[in-house]
Amino acid sequence: MNADVFMMGEFEAVIPSDRLYAKNHMWAQQTDKGFRFGFSAYAVRLLQDVYFLDWEIDAPCEISPKQEMGSIESKKAESVIYSPCQGHLEQFNPSLLNDPSAINVDKYGEGWLFELVISNPDFLDAAQYIEHLGNVWQDAQRTIKGQMNQ
Amino acid sequence: MANRISVVVSQGQSENPAKRNLEESLITNLMMEPGIDVTVVPHLYDLKPDGTGMLALKGLSGNIVVLSWLFERAAHWTLDRNGIHGQVGQVELKNEAEDQSDPEEDPEADSKTETKERLVDSRVKPNRHIYCLDLRVSNKADDFISEVRRIQKERSVKIVPLGIGSAAPNQDTASSPTDEQLQRYENPTNDTALPLNGNGLQDNPISATNQDQPAMVYRVEEQGGRRWYPVIDYSRCTNCMECIDFCLFGVYGVDKVDSILVEQPDNCRKGCPACSRVCPENAIIFPQHKTPAIAGSPEVGASLKIDLSKLFGAPDDGKSAEEIAALERDEQLMAVGREAVGMKAEPTKRRSNAKPQERDELDSLVDELDDLDL
Repeated sequence: MNADVFMMGEFEAVIPSDRLYAKNHMWAQQTDKGFRFGFSAYAVRLLQDVYFLDWEIDAPCEISPKQEMGSIESKKAESVIYSPCQGHLEQFNPSLLNDPSAINVDKYGEGWLFELVISNPDFLDAAQYIEHLGNVWQDAQRTIKGQMNQ
Repeated sequence: MANRISVVVSQGQSENPAKRNLEESLITNLMMEPGIDVTVVPHLYDLKPDGTGMLALKGLSGNIVVLSWLFERAAHWTLDRNGIHGQVGQVELKNEAEDQSDPEEDPEADSKTETKERLVDSRVKPNRHIYCLDLRVSNKADDFISEVRRIQKERSVKIVPLGIGSAAPNQDTASSPTDEQLQRYENPTNDTALPLNGNGLQDNPISATNQDQPAMVYRVEEQGGRRWYPVIDYSRCTNCMECIDFCLFGVYGVDKVDSILVEQPDNCRKGCPACSRVCPENAIIFPQHKTPAIAGSPEVGASLKIDLSKLFGAPDDGKSAEEIAALERDEQLMAVGREAVGMKAEPTKRRSNAKPQERDELDSLVDELDDLDL
């Protein structure tokens, strides 16, 4: 698998070039019907050990960009999960519901999150995503560090 | 045997009858307990450094239980700043939030705690314990009385064997002090146990060591308004100097060995908690701030989860802690007719000059972020 690396401090976030990426740090890989999504190594690194994953909507349904889809909780963090783009939600990964640890163990494989059918896919390739990471990494560090003190 | 225990009741600032009743009920109940001396002072945080209240507290020898309307950490480090040092006594009656925290997230086990040098590590360990109880934890005096009894028992269990003085030289000093330590315990030499003299308090009624002596209640009156100043938790502080760089009112200073301290507490601007927000270790407490995290609530730190929503696509509306801090500082600068500095007066990044430390496995992102040159 060809992959590039983005350095998060001393941590190597591996960004495979066999798939595309959304700006909210999800990878998107073409399937027969549409795209399969999961968290990038960058996102998983920020989250660390995932304890809990919860979806607030039922598949199948239509979703709009940045719609709240669910929430995720890890050892160190919590976040709302927003949709990466407009589309038709086909299904959530059923195996994650009882045990979300695959997100950590196999983020680019078994740890996928959901599948969307998209009419106008507009994603970044690995190189563009790494460039995007370069732009947001500083801000991410500040946000995290700032929150520690709030 | 020196196993009498001093209990300090720090009164609330308000005349709230419910609070007053709890305080008085505690004092009455404590008087019935053998081996306990009670000192009643006005609100601990408001005591002046050289006032009668603080002097009375400085005169207490041996172990202390402090009952106050403050978070445990806030009370402990307020005393510490006033020269009343002690090891943190573990209390069982405490804020619930702490109990709910995941056992796996025990801050003691966090690598963050292990890898960084805290200022408290460089100090000599005091030979006494201070147990701080937050009076907001329960509205029943009995809960506090039984906790005081438990602490008294805990301390006497550890102290009684010391009298035998048969500690083997190789034994763990934590459980079996040497004769020298024992002697120091009986006749403390540090500044935390100096008996009172002068200042109108000739006799220190609470240094009694006779177990059978009935309880003494010593009430200290002190006039003075409310105060507002930061309190540093030295078990968290790494001496990074962000606070001294950030505060433009000269509150912070350093001691002879270049350790940070709150040098001019009364220079602090009432209501302003900005330095607390810029502290990377959450070591600065403003005990009277409405946000529990700033007021010294125990659950802050390892068990507090970071909200990553903003990074994962949430609309950008909030401000970072640093931005809030800069705004708060500007407000105070303008209030005294000085010019606002905004984010321009960013703390100089002293830590970036610090010698690189050996990194542990990358198991804590927060750990790492703190060490990056932001």
